[in-house]
Amino acid sequence: MINLIRAEWRKVTTVKLGWGMLLGALALAALGVVAQIASNGNGANGSPLPPLSAAETQRSIAASAGSAYLFSVVVGIILITTEFRHFTSRPTFLIEPRRGRVIVAKVIVAAVVGIIYGLACAALTAAIMAPWFAALGVSIGWTSNGVLLSMLGDILVIAIFAVVGIGVGVLVRNQIAAVIGALVYLFVLEPLIDIIPVVKNAYPYLPGAAGAAITGVNRGSLAHLNAVQGGFVLLGWGLFFALCGWILTIRRDIP
Amino acid sequence: MSPEPSAVEGRIVASALTKVFGEVKAVDDLSFTVEPGSVTGFLGPNGAGKTTTLRMILGLATPTSGAGTISGVAYAHLPVPGRTVGAVLEATSFHPGRSARNHLRVFCAAAGLPDKRADEVLEWVGLTQAARYAVHGFSLGMRQRLALATALLGNPRVLLLDEPANGLDPEGIAWLRGLLRHFADVDGRTVLISSHVLSEVEQTVDRVVIIARGRFIYEGKLADLEGASGGVVVRTPTPDQFATAVASLNAKVTPRADGSLAVVGATPEAVGRAAWEAHVELHELRAGSSSLEETFLRLTAEPAAPPGPTP
Ligand SMILES: Nc1ncnc2c1ncn2[C@@H]1O[C@H](COP(=O)(O)OP(=O)(O)OP(=O)(O)O)[C@@H](O)[C@H]1O
Ligand SMILES: [Mg+2]
Repeated sequence: MINLIRAEWRKVTTVKLGWGMLLGALALAALGVVAQIASNGNGANGSPLPPLSAAETQRSIAASAGSAYLFSVVVGIILITTEFRHFTSRPTFLIEPRRGRVIVAKVIVAAVVGIIYGLACAALTAAIMAPWFAALGVSIGWTSNGVLLSMLGDILVIAIFAVVGIGVGVLVRNQIAAVIGALVYLFVLEPLIDIIPVVKNAYPYLPGAAGAAITGVNRGSLAHLNAVQGGFVLLGWGLFFALCGWILTIRRDIP
Repeated sequence: MSPEPSAVEGRIVASALTKVFGEVKAVDDLSFTVEPGSVTGFLGPNGAGKTTTLRMILGLATPTSGAGTISGVAYAHLPVPGRTVGAVLEATSFHPGRSARNHLRVFCAAAGLPDKRADEVLEWVGLTQAARYAVHGFSLGMRQRLALATALLGNPRVLLLDEPANGLDPEGIAWLRGLLRHFADVDGRTVLISSHVLSEVEQTVDRVVIIARGRFIYEGKLADLEGASGGVVVRTPTPDQFATAVASLNAKVTPRADGSLAVVGATPEAVGRAAWEAHVELHELRAGSSSLEETFLRLTAEPAAPPGPTP
């Protein structure tokens, strides 16, 4: 098993994609953080937002780095669909015909990659927040205001979405279709579900909404789950997609 | 059939392999055996089902029915498949952005082999100079060499290579021939190579398995096919009875343009005797005069009116 994990790790580190996507994730995280701080009037006249010193604001700024999950889900998808696209699936499953083990190794490596992305995004967020707040003379309640916890949520969301990506990529082997499908779902379909009567009751339990709940961002028209509930729901989605990937890889032919 | 005969170390057996893709019967009740110590050509025109057959033997595709075994067991049940069997399925299994050496190192890690093995096989296939370059800049011949290097990583005793000569220059083909002959003759390994042209491999192989449209056509020594390569030309008023009479010879009977029949895979003596024993009236019996390639084409040609026993 450790051999397979090493092999999967090498697959990630020997192509440029992983690094490119990391830069993308960092850029998206930074954009969210900068936009939130800059657009906050900091209690000035007419500003409807709570000031920067408010715990709620600080948590929300830290949480916006979690949007980098968009990149980790795509990385997860690409890690697996690349195998089918370039037929590296053939030597991979020839060397290890017990296909389930390959998927387990991939899920582990995807989770590690996700955690690295998450750590990098959280570190960047802190690196932007700390000097900026200091310059404005606002102190950050890293623990008292739950900012660190919010960042931990970011890391969790980013890591789990990488695992979700593996499952999606097994389900839809066509790389472009899988990436576009996942993004359309997260950007269009899930928000759409939130506005359809009756069906919308399921909305808080969907992956995107559960991820938002973890980082404490209020999204959707209904009361959302709390962070811990969201964590379990998203973890459930991660396990579900990993299991789907495991079963389908065993059952279907390798192209 | 008892299971013992297939349990020979290094023997590849296909028994009644069948694969249906929707409407297409890609492989149809295909059985053959590949022995260690020989280079066997797996031949058939484009779309004959060669790649699909290899994928089933290698456990990448599940047969609709039938089974393939290596050393008597299904591929997935081999103790260390990565170090027992080396296979190439069409020379396209690379990430274009990964260097040749890194490509091999990925699979070294997966198979639990030391990284220096990657450099060893690169040297064997003559790619040391290109080791650090990304595969997307590789020519077809270089890809073939890298694919072969991947198959050789685990020092396998069984090699299955899908169209390995495709894209190689004459020098490369000669080099490949020497390598494969060495594996079979000196090391006693099993080598199965597929091709859609007999002439590409005829100097390399000693046995052939020929298929067309997913069906078994011919299996045997290349020398036998060569001996009979002119084939036998027969004229008879009762072609159906004749086909039945020679069925036991394992030869293939096809109609010729002039109304006579061509028999491939048997000598004139054997054909004459079989016809005589079955009391089939012959108006003509003579040795034909076609080349090996013509024989191959005739064997794999679309049947006009199906001769011989049809199931
Ligand atoms: N995954 C698939 N889905 C549907 N049809 C398939 C699939 N794979 C192969 N086929 C069909 O099965 C038949 C046999 O294909 P296969 O690739 O095995 O032939 P081949 O002998 O390797 O041909 P070539 O010499 O061109 O490589 C073809 O008709 C092909 O279109
Ligand atoms: Mg083929």
